[in-house]
Formats: sequence, structure tokens, C-alpha cells
Amino acid sequence: MSTSRTASTRRSARRRTAFIAVGVASALALSACSAPASQEQGGTVDWELTTQTAAPSGDIDSYSWASYAEPYTLDYAYAFDYADNQVLANVCESLLRLNPDYTLSPGLAESFERPDPLTWVYNIRSGVTFHDGTPLTAADVVASMNRIIDPAVGSAWYSVYQNVVSIEQTGDMQVTVKTGIPDSQFNLGMGGSAGVIESAATLAAAGTDYGNSSGLVNCTGPFSIEDWQQGESITLKRNDNYWDPELTAKSGEVKFVFINDSTARVNALKSGDVDGAWMIPFDAVPQLRDSGAGDVYFGMSTAVSNLVVSNLDGPLGDPNVRKALLMAIDRKGVLNAASKGVGEISDVHTTKSVWGGASDAAVTEAFDNIENYPYDIDAAKKLVEESGFAGEELTYVTAPIGSDFNIIAQATAAAAEAIGLKVNIKTVTPGAYTALFSDPSAREGVDLFYTVWYLSSPDPLEMYGVLRTGEFSNYGNWSNPEFDAIVSEALGVDDPAARSELTAKAQVIANAELPWLPLFTGPMPMFMGERVTGVAPSIAFLYYPWAATIGAR
Amino acid sequence: MMLARRIGGKLGSLVLTLFLVSLLVFFSRFLVPGDPVSFLLRGRKPSPEAVALVTEQYGLNLPVWQQYVNWFTGMLQGDFGRSLQYRQDVSVVIGERLPVTLMLVVMAGLIIGVLGLTSGIIASLNRGRPLDRSILIGLTVLGAIPSFVGAIVLIAIFAVQLGWFPTFGSGEGFSDMVYHLTLPSIALALVFVVLVGKVTRSSMVEQLGREHVEVATSRGLRRGTVIRRHVFRNAIGPILTVSGLLVAGLLVASSIVEAAFGVAGIGSLLVQSVDRLDFPVVQAIVLLVVTAFVVVNGIIDVLEPWIDPRSAAGGSAR
Repeated sequence: MSTSRTASTRRSARRRTAFIAVGVASALALSACSAPASQEQGGTVDWELTTQTAAPSGDIDSYSWASYAEPYTLDYAYAFDYADNQVLANVCESLLRLNPDYTLSPGLAESFERPDPLTWVYNIRSGVTFHDGTPLTAADVVASMNRIIDPAVGSAWYSVYQNVVSIEQTGDMQVTVKTGIPDSQFNLGMGGSAGVIESAATLAAAGTDYGNSSGLVNCTGPFSIEDWQQGESITLKRNDNYWDPELTAKSGEVKFVFINDSTARVNALKSGDVDGAWMIPFDAVPQLRDSGAGDVYFGMSTAVSNLVVSNLDGPLGDPNVRKALLMAIDRKGVLNAASKGVGEISDVHTTKSVWGGASDAAVTEAFDNIENYPYDIDAAKKLVEESGFAGEELTYVTAPIGSDFNIIAQATAAAAEAIGLKVNIKTVTPGAYTALFSDPSAREGVDLFYTVWYLSSPDPLEMYGVLRTGEFSNYGNWSNPEFDAIVSEALGVDDPAARSELTAKAQVIANAELPWLPLFTGPMPMFMGERVTGVAPSIAFLYYPWAATIGAR
Repeated sequence: MMLARRIGGKLGSLVLTLFLVSLLVFFSRFLVPGDPVSFLLRGRKPSPEAVALVTEQYGLNLPVWQQYVNWFTGMLQGDFGRSLQYRQDVSVVIGERLPVTLMLVVMAGLIIGVLGLTSGIIASLNRGRPLDRSILIGLTVLGAIPSFVGAIVLIAIFAVQLGWFPTFGSGEGFSDMVYHLTLPSIALALVFVVLVGKVTRSSMVEQLGREHVEVATSRGLRRGTVIRRHVFRNAIGPILTVSGLLVAGLLVASSIVEAAFGVAGIGSLLVQSVDRLDFPVVQAIVLLVVTAFVVVNGIIDVLEPWIDPRSAAGGSAR
């Protein structure tokens, strides 16, 4: 899941607001794209997926990594964002480990059992110590997990725990979680921040400063936090007592530097000031390649770019109008313009990468037995005419977050105009755009907005759970009883293959009904300078200790 | 005695100004649409009770006037509240970033002072000659370059192409900080050099044409002495006034330059905090900037009679 910052790849820090009364948004937007570009606009770049980069030749003392933003917090209960998680993943560990290929393996729980549909039993790994040298106990696990359901904490990960009724220590190194209804997704969520274990003593001692730059964190990962310079950098130090020899850090330290401005970030990579970064802007790929400073890689991602339909009381309440709008968008052209052609058109809301546990039949059903929506203005125009909504106006909200936001807004407006609808584009600040995702009043009178939605667990059901009637993130209040029944049934099914067959049915319904309009998928772009290598490029960098795998080239 | 009364009066008006500003700053937040709590959730599904509890934790459920009183009395005790985005005391969030911005403003101020004064003085002494005209044209061209364009060009040439300076950040330790902030301070100074340069020039030109200057020259005083004691000393009033106004301009413009150079200072924090509805941080920064502005101009007012005797005698500096 994600909100605005999924687009932060190309986020410009030159975000000015109503505050600086010189409201020259347009002139300032110019600043964001007046960077010296080494290539002409409109060209596409060659790309292929990389699952693993070359192994390091040895350890490296220190390397640096650029992030588009400073973490808000390193408190796992709130870390739900690229900026927070890419740092935290190397410091704090979860009960399970989400690997770069999006499989789950044991983490701080060396095994788990499901004695009955309402019970998950976790056997905690012994011999693990926190960064302060204290041993990991079952009590730490209970304390860490209970924070997610504590309303006073107000965790961003609450939805993973929404069916949990109790978390108790049931043995020397055993913790048992009971849910009110069978919930296959809870355990899958234990590979993300929702499953992070922190020392109970640290939580108690740090209080409200836990996870901020004064309180820091004390976890079990391959790195500990050495220093957090507010607004500037976070430095991680190798944990020499790390329990897993496979993932012992290949560097003495990693320094994360925060460079909000995308041009500044690319400059720092080109000049070799910084050794690498996730989510480099697609339009910077040619100049980064030309610079000779290192290599651009494209890793597996679970993200799908969508237009969220946030109002079903207007013209878009008619499924045929939604289909018409999707068919009127030249998605290939948009992909070329917005992401330099890196990615693929998608008619569904999930990527194949999260269907790892699915049966072949389910994957075929979910990706082959579906409707395609090819670019066809005439057919689309006809659908709108038949619907009786021709001439109606839609409101599209966007924000100056990246060039893709702008391109997709313009393309959607042009598509709607071409089929007899009108579009009013409203540009708001990134903060106001973020509010669309959590504040229903912010969505009043809004028909469409763009999002790049990624999944944090290796199961496509995470996506379709969101689109059930009454769900928090079902922004258009789309409702389909048959879909709800299938998804709810699937949530209770333990076997991944059997569950995937139900999820495939849900995907087919969503593909036919289009509660959101899927546009395309895109890989995770990253850059590594000539000093370093070793990472497996993947969106799992949000939860997997990727920085430990990087050493000297 | 005169001076003490002057300073006392200044202090009184300073306190009143700041009180009025605090009201304005606090209540202006209610003109901004959006709910800070919804930003805290950042699009995530909260537990049913969490929203109410979070609202209570941040005191957002209290009557507005009570929120103001709590905020104001807290500030008097050095407590500026807690940042919503960083879940940390505002004083810590701002304190960590303040030195960088101060350094940036001081360095830019030095550049503005040196370049503005020298170019203005040289132009005035060569009034009407080609040198004067080319200085004026040069200043005008520099003044027309927006800070962010200057920043982009400086980075492209000196950081990326030539590699003489770092492309981002503010460094660690004093000398490293100066090194890191060299390009940003130049980018920040460019726009303001023209202002100081032109004011210096016109103020000097006016003084050069005065009688007492001609008298001093005809008495056979050396030109350097005349310029120093009779011309420049009298010309400095308007220059100081403009410099006082620059303080606010520099602090505002710093946000753009800081963003371009990835420097974590108060300016970039302000822009970011406005966007994220982090009111405690916004309020504290705005108060800080206004205070700096009022204090600097207060000091200039107090100092002026020492430098320019005519304003103490009630004459105008014009």
C-alpha cells in the first residue's frame, strides 16, 4: 500500500506552498524541470530486470546512500513509507523475513505453527541479542506486537492486526496470537514492519521519543544506528554480534543522506559524492548511464500505477464510462512520457511478482482470462454516448510531486475530452494530496486521482482486501457483494494455492468492473556507483536488510 | 539617558509586535484547509479509537483559545510543542537545523556586503563613465537571476562539471560547513547584491554632490579621507535600512536555495512543514523569523544615530 510517496521517486523538493506568498507555482514547477538534461525529452530507455548484482569482491569500510527524504520516524509502528522503511529494514528485524524474490522465510521466529484457523504460534529464535547486548525474549515480542494494537500508539500497521484478539507468551520462547476470524494475511504481514521486534526495556525507557532522532531504536538487525543528524543523514554501524552469518554486513558503516531535490540527488550520484540510491527518476537514467559513475538497475516491484476512482455517484459510477475512460488513455504513450517507457501496460491491479505461492491455474485465470482495454477512442466515445453522461465534468486532483503526476493528469484530461467528457484538473500541495488517502472530507467532489500502489506482503489478496465494501482505502466506496464474498472467503483459506484460485476470481471481477483504472506496472529503478555492488534489486528493500549485502566492487 | 530611553521604547514596541504576530501566526493555521491528524495517519487505516486518542495527545480537541494559551505559555518556558511529522520536540527539530541556516545567511550577508558595497562605491566614484554603466548592467543582470536558477547553474558548473564543491549537504565541523555552504551562499546572495549595490551607489552619489564635501575637498583634504569621513559616513543610513530589510528576505529565500542544495536548514524545514500541516514547527519558525527581523531592525534603529549624527538631531537621513 502506499500513498503519495510511492511517487516520490521523482519527487521534487522544490515544493513551495501557499506560505511563500509568491504563488508562482508554474514558474517554480519550471525549476523542477529546468535541470540540465543530457538527453532530449521523449526518448525511451532500454531496460531489463535484474534479480541479483555481482557479488562484492570483499568488505568496504563505508559507503553512502541517497534517500529522497528524511524518515519521519524509525518507530516501526509508524514506518510505512519508502524513506522510513529503507533505513529501518537494515536495523530492525521482524518475526519473518521478506526476501528480495518476495518469499517469506524465518526471521526472529525460527518457526511458526497454525494449530487451528484462529491461532498462530511463533517459536522465537534463541541466542539473538539486541544492539545493546541484551538477549531477545518472548516478552520483547509480546510488548512489540501489542504496540500495534494500542490505540494510544495509533500505528499505521493496525490493519494487519485488525482481527487480532490476543497476543500472549505461551512458553519460554513462544508467543501465541489469536484472531477473531480465520486470517491468512496476519502471518504474511509478519515479514513487514508490523512484525518488528524491539526490546521492551528500550520501549519503556524511550517513551514518546522512541524512534525519533533523540530516542533512536535498539533492535537486532545487521546494523545499529550510530548517529542521526536531523535533516542531514543517518549513519548505521555494523553489528558484529549479528545472529545470521549469511547476512552479516559487508561494510563497516552505511551513511544515508537525505537529498529532497531530485536534480540534486542525481548530481550527487553522477559526481560520485554518493554511492547509490533507490528510486532514481526514470528521466535521469540516460544521464546517469552517460556519466560513467556506476550502473542503473531495474529490480522487481509490486507496484501498479492506478487512477483511483473516488466518486461513484458521478459519471464514473457507470462501469461503461470507467471502461471508456481507460480505453481513451493512450497508456503506451503515457508510459513512454512518464517513465521513459520503463514498465508494462496492465489491465489488473496486481503484478505477477506477488503471485509466487499461486497455482498455475490461478495465474492463468488472473492474467490471461481477463478483459483487455486497448486504446480505442471510437469505441470509448460510443460507450460514453450510450451512457448518457456526455458533456459531464470530472474533477481530477493532482500535486506537483513528479513529472509522471503531471503527464498522467494531462493525458487523462485529454482522453476524457476526446470522448465527450470534461475534466477539471485541480492541483494541490503534496500534503493535501496525501490527505486524499486518509481524509474522506478531502475526497469530496473529487472523481479521480493518481497513485502508485505497492503491496507489502507476498499475496495479491492484500490488494483486493482493500476494495471490499466499507474498507478504509476503498476510496470510491465501490461495492460488489460477489467480490466481497470471494475475498472474505479467501482471507480464511490457509493454503496459498487454494487461496490464489479465489484471489484470481476477485482479480477477474475487479478487472471487469474497474473500481480503479489500472494503467501500468514499473520496475524499481536503482543506481549503484562504481565502488559498490552486491544488492538484489527489489522492492523488498523496504523490509529486507539489503544494505548488509553491499560491499566493495 | 537618551539611549536608555530609546532602547526601552524599542523593547516595548518589540514585545507588542511579537505578541500581535503570535496571535496572527497561531490563528492563521485555521485558515489552512486540512486536518493535521489525517496527515499523521498518512493514508493508513487507523484503529477505531486511535484518531480520538491522537487528537487528544496533541491537544487538538481543546477549545481554540485554550490551545493558544497553552502554546503561548509553553513558549515562554521554552517549550514550543511537539512536531507532528517527526514526533519530537519542536525545539530539537529546529535547534538541529538552525546553525546551518544562520551560517548560510551570515555567509550570504558577507558576500552581499562586500560585493554590494564595493560595486556601489566604485560605480558612484566613476559616475557616468563606462565603468559605472557596466557595473550597473552587471548588477541588474545578476539581480534578474532567480535563486533557484542560480543554484542550478552553480551546481552544474562547479559541483558536477568541475567537482570543486560538494553537490549537497552542509558538512560537519566549521571549515567543512563553510566549504559546503560556499555555493549555496553565492546563490542566495546574487539577488540581493543588486539591491545593496544600487542603494550604495545612489546614496553615495547624493552625498558626493553635497556642499560640505566640496568644502572639504577645497580645503585640501585627501580624497580618501573625504570619501571615508564625509561621504560614506553620511551615505550609510539608507544602506543600513536596506540591510535590515534584507534579513527577512534572506531567511525566506534561503528555503529555495536550501532545497536546491539539499541543505537541511530552517528554510527547507518551513516549506516542508507547511505542506505537512506540521503547525507547531511552522508557528515556531515564523515567530523566529519575525523576531530576527524585528530585533535586527531595532538594533539598526538604535545604532543609527551613532553612525549618522543627523538622525539623532532629528534630521532626516535623506
